[in-house]
Amino acid sequence: MDQPRLLADRIEETLIAGILGVMTLITFANVVMRYGFNQNILWALELTVFLFGWLVLLGASYAVKKGAHLGVDIIVNILPAQARRVMGLAAVAVCVAFSFLMLKGAWDYWANFANLPGTEGRWFPLGFEETYRDKGWYEVNDIPHPAVLGWMENVFNEGEEYEKLPRLIPYAVLPLSMALMLFRFLQAGWSLWTGETDRVVASHEVEDEIQEIREQMREEN
Amino acid sequence: MDVALLFSLVIGLMLIGVPIAVALGMSSVLFLLWFSDSSLASVAQTLFSAFEGHYTLLAIPFFILASSFMTTGGVAQRIIRFSIACVGHLPGGLAIAGVFACMLFAALSGSSPATVVAIGTIVIGGMRQVGYTKDFAAGVICTAGTLGILIPPSIVMVVYAASVEVSVGRMFLAGVIPGLLAGFMLMTTIYVIAKIKNLPKGEWQGWGEIITSGREAGWGLFLIVIILGGIYGGIFTPTEAAAVAAVYAFFIATFVYKDMGPLAERQPRSLSAAAVVETPGSIPLRHRPWAIVTAFFHPDTQHTLFEAGKLTVTLLFVIANALILKHVLTDEQIPQHVANAMLSAGFGPVMFLIVVNIILLIGGQFMEPSGLLVIVAPLVFPIAIELGIDPIHLGIIMVVNMEIGMITPPVGLNLFVTSGVAGMPMMRVVRAALPFLGVLFVFLILVTYVPWISTFLPNTFMGPEIITK
Repeated sequence: MDQPRLLADRIEETLIAGILGVMTLITFANVVMRYGFNQNILWALELTVFLFGWLVLLGASYAVKKGAHLGVDIIVNILPAQARRVMGLAAVAVCVAFSFLMLKGAWDYWANFANLPGTEGRWFPLGFEETYRDKGWYEVNDIPHPAVLGWMENVFNEGEEYEKLPRLIPYAVLPLSMALMLFRFLQAGWSLWTGETDRVVASHEVEDEIQEIREQMREEN
Repeated sequence: MDVALLFSLVIGLMLIGVPIAVALGMSSVLFLLWFSDSSLASVAQTLFSAFEGHYTLLAIPFFILASSFMTTGGVAQRIIRFSIACVGHLPGGLAIAGVFACMLFAALSGSSPATVVAIGTIVIGGMRQVGYTKDFAAGVICTAGTLGILIPPSIVMVVYAASVEVSVGRMFLAGVIPGLLAGFMLMTTIYVIAKIKNLPKGEWQGWGEIITSGREAGWGLFLIVIILGGIYGGIFTPTEAAAVAAVYAFFIATFVYKDMGPLAERQPRSLSAAAVVETPGSIPLRHRPWAIVTAFFHPDTQHTLFEAGKLTVTLLFVIANALILKHVLTDEQIPQHVANAMLSAGFGPVMFLIVVNIILLIGGQFMEPSGLLVIVAPLVFPIAIELGIDPIHLGIIMVVNMEIGMITPPVGLNLFVTSGVAGMPMMRVVRAALPFLGVLFVFLILVTYVPWISTFLPNTFMGPEIITK
């Protein structure tokens, strides 16, 4: 913790903390409005839910970077170093394949909402679709379209006015987060290859705390 | 046959060290691409709808945040002080107080490992000082820590409620009697052991100490009143109750306990043990009135938000991927097939519950409880309904099973955590926890075959459960 944190770490950590904070405040504010002012913030729930999705999906790539994803490490622990390395590389290969497939799926799902073509092919992208249906006019249920984003009407909606936020905005997190995750898993694979780490998982949620306690004990003895 | 393939894929991937979330997601993706005509785009949609379509799950980040605010500070210490004041004078007093403290802490936190860390770091050392063996201390805390997921609020219960669509409020209420019962059974066991082995007892410190320490701990414990009172009083939805609890916990930690934030007196980091135990001093609000604003941006607040966020991410990413798998299962009508097979094999409710017990005990060895629940619950739920088992009762049985899974060798989660906290090798913790594991087994049998224990409170306060098939 003492060494200066990387800029990317800081951005991601602030984002994780910030999104959770905003989610909490919005939900709390909605309760206050209901009892204090007899009103409901109509868009509160929907916005919170979208933020929730953003938090977890964007956070997932951060967790890859920090090796914080939950997993089973009993087999990994009893193996000799050589076999551990092979298994680690196999595990990363699976993760890379997964994020690649999910990236394709995420793009295909999101692209039409942004008036962009999805990709052909069932397993691998084999070029872009020639014909597809534009879904740029799809809107969310409750969140109003902010004036700052007025330019989007010309780009995605043939100049027609958006009353509510277009769906392409909340869904944009899908391709974004999956691309980030693919990148992080490739990085994790590299540090396994060079021998910096030997696994991509953590066995439980309080691993950091236990580490701290161990260090404290060592200092005391 | 396909199902067997699917599940062996999940387990195989997990064992070679693939993250649980990816193992679940990858198996479902492969299965869908091989055996059905769903596209990858629809998988991505399912992944996003894990958040968009499950409002219940939204309660989880807020519960995690509330308990993070509560646990950063000295709440554990205050609770332990109160527990010792109440029961410390009994034979085996400190051990009983440890169980009691775990029960109280479980009411603030929804996770078992977190309970072990918070209470264990203080109590295990304390018990050794007054003459208990380290093994006994570790065994007690390891077992009592599992109450974290049984006593509401509990993250595992929220996950169960979300995945089979029952009310979170009912589940929480249903956990109250079993939670108290399990704690009471553990305490009685310790009392008996203490009588036989003549374990040390503490001194009765008088009612004054109970009242003083109770008032101190009360600020924190009021959290559970907000949550349960809010939900049953019809004031909040469970999600809102969790958010309000998080805001409340923030205020208590920053402005009342002053363990964190701008009003906490920073002490220079010292290596000696004495400085760690001392509670940090605090600054009155009137000396720093601007703290009301700065508290929201204080590094401590940011750090707590971040830690809670990170935990949310890892838990929910598992759950979201488990929901993809659940989607596959329902699409292929697998639960129905399994149900028919079991029913036509002539399984009665008793046999069925034993099978559920076994599946969960084995699964609980390998997997994080909430992820396991998301997969197993939709499989067994339709069968349970068919056999006339109450959904709430089934939920409590599953939660108790997870508890036991956490302390069953070879790889119970709490065993790992305790071995870290107490600085003991795994095998010693396993042996130490064994007698108490026996107690929990008796408790499991009780809970499984006496539905009244779980269903009495929810049925009394919220009316009988309406089961829609």
